[in-house]
Amino acid sequence: MIELHNVTVQYQKDSPALSSISLNIPKGDFVFLTGPSGAGKSTLLKLVYGAVEPVRGHIVVDGQNLTRLPRKQIPYLRRNIGVVFQDFKLLNARSVFDNVALTLEVLGWESKDIGKKVFHILKRLGIEHKKDVAPLRLSGGEQQRVALARALVNDPKILLADEPTGNLDDSNKDQILNIFREANIRGTTVLIASHDRRVLNSVHGRVVHLVKGLLQETDDVT
Amino acid sequence: MSHSRHTVRPPAASKSSGGRLGYFTRKALGNLRNNRLVTLITICTITLALLIISLFMLIYVNMEGTIDQWSRKVAVTVYFDTEPLPQELAALKNRINGLPGTESVQYISRDEAYKIFRSRLKGQESLLEGVSADILPSSFEITLQKEFRSTDSVNLYVSRLKQVQGVGEVQYGEEWVKKFLTFFQFIRIIGLLIAGFLILAVLFIVSNTIKLTVLARHDELEILALVGATPFFIKAPFLIEGMVQGAVGAVVAVSILTAGYYSMLANAVNFLSFNPSAAGLTFLPLSHIAALIFGGVLLGFIGSLVSLKKLIAV
Repeated sequence: MIELHNVTVQYQKDSPALSSISLNIPKGDFVFLTGPSGAGKSTLLKLVYGAVEPVRGHIVVDGQNLTRLPRKQIPYLRRNIGVVFQDFKLLNARSVFDNVALTLEVLGWESKDIGKKVFHILKRLGIEHKKDVAPLRLSGGEQQRVALARALVNDPKILLADEPTGNLDDSNKDQILNIFREANIRGTTVLIASHDRRVLNSVHGRVVHLVKGLLQETDDVT
Repeated sequence: MSHSRHTVRPPAASKSSGGRLGYFTRKALGNLRNNRLVTLITICTITLALLIISLFMLIYVNMEGTIDQWSRKVAVTVYFDTEPLPQELAALKNRINGLPGTESVQYISRDEAYKIFRSRLKGQESLLEGVSADILPSSFEITLQKEFRSTDSVNLYVSRLKQVQGVGEVQYGEEWVKKFLTFFQFIRIIGLLIAGFLILAVLFIVSNTIKLTVLARHDELEILALVGATPFFIKAPFLIEGMVQGAVGAVVAVSILTAGYYSMLANAVNFLSFNPSAAGLTFLPLSHIAALIFGGVLLGFIGSLVSLKKLIAV
């Protein structure tokens, strides 16, 4: 599902953010990306959803070589990828419902279909009763569930998360990780960047270590 | 695998572009409502900008009118050594009327010329004692069409006029015409230059104001791009918002100008002690008002487009 071949990303001269990374994530995998701050975890995620271009190497996502994909095709690639961030990136002037509906509006869905689908995903994530509330009035865990609902509402093939539990307490972390696990069981390939040991120990998955832009090792956590 | 198989196909993918336009318009109007303060600031900026431009247009239109009035005085005179017979006069008048550039031809008989001369010497009529109308020649006073009033055109016209059978001595204030026309050409160029600078300044101010509104919603742009919105999908509501703001700003500007102009007309006689309608003052013609409103819509559209260009990077 995600293949990186000798990928190098450079923001500044002489200090690559990622150096000759090669990585293969098959369909349906659950992968943790670990490493200290500045190791290149976020950069690797950005590569997958086409927000960063490599200076060398190539990336294949869902069968498409991103280095050869025209920029105008990037939005269509992103429609198959859900992305979640530590700071949730929700629109605070809009309700929970409107935040989640945005993904389907972009796809051109009819409003009555959007209503059904959004309610369904909010129910699945246990926040359907908060649909009319503004995100700022929710707890951190609830906000992250809204962000996850927005990422999952169109059943993406890939789910990317950048420190998704960074702002959450332990009980909320478990709930959020359960949602990732459930999405993975439904067939979504999951890639989570995190340096939180608790997260790594709580879910069965493959772990990829990054240090200073270099791939150190990959192993399985059971 | 091909790209199309990966893309989630929405149930309404075949929806008409009209439906899409409806969606974008609803979004744009909703955004205008939700961001009332920013919308108000943008409309005020556009109103002020267009008010300055429309005021300039009003001055320019009136100046053009005055120039037109004055340039009518660019007349060509044909003198006759002997008083022509009425039928000769009519034939000659027809021939001159047939020349390209002729606006009107007026016959001044010897008696009329004498009267005009006399009136110009008001208070010193005694100088004309013992002088009869016979010493003055009769003449044709020819005024030229607007586009034939430039120096080159007048020269060309005169050379054609001299070839007309029956035309003798032709006079026109060569130097005077030249100076007059050069002066007004200069004023026109200055006017257009000022207008050009004004439009540039207005575009700059309006696009920067709209840029602030776009910056204020930077999060929204980022999230839309993240969930796979195309640049067009992101831009369309902003462009419609810009056009609506531009149209409202233009209508308000035109309304203020109209109210200001007519209240000035009503009060000018009292406190400026001059009569504006007698002075030949006119308001902007309808075509100019339509151009102003269209200009407002265009200003909002271009202002949004310029602001979005740099801010949306997919």
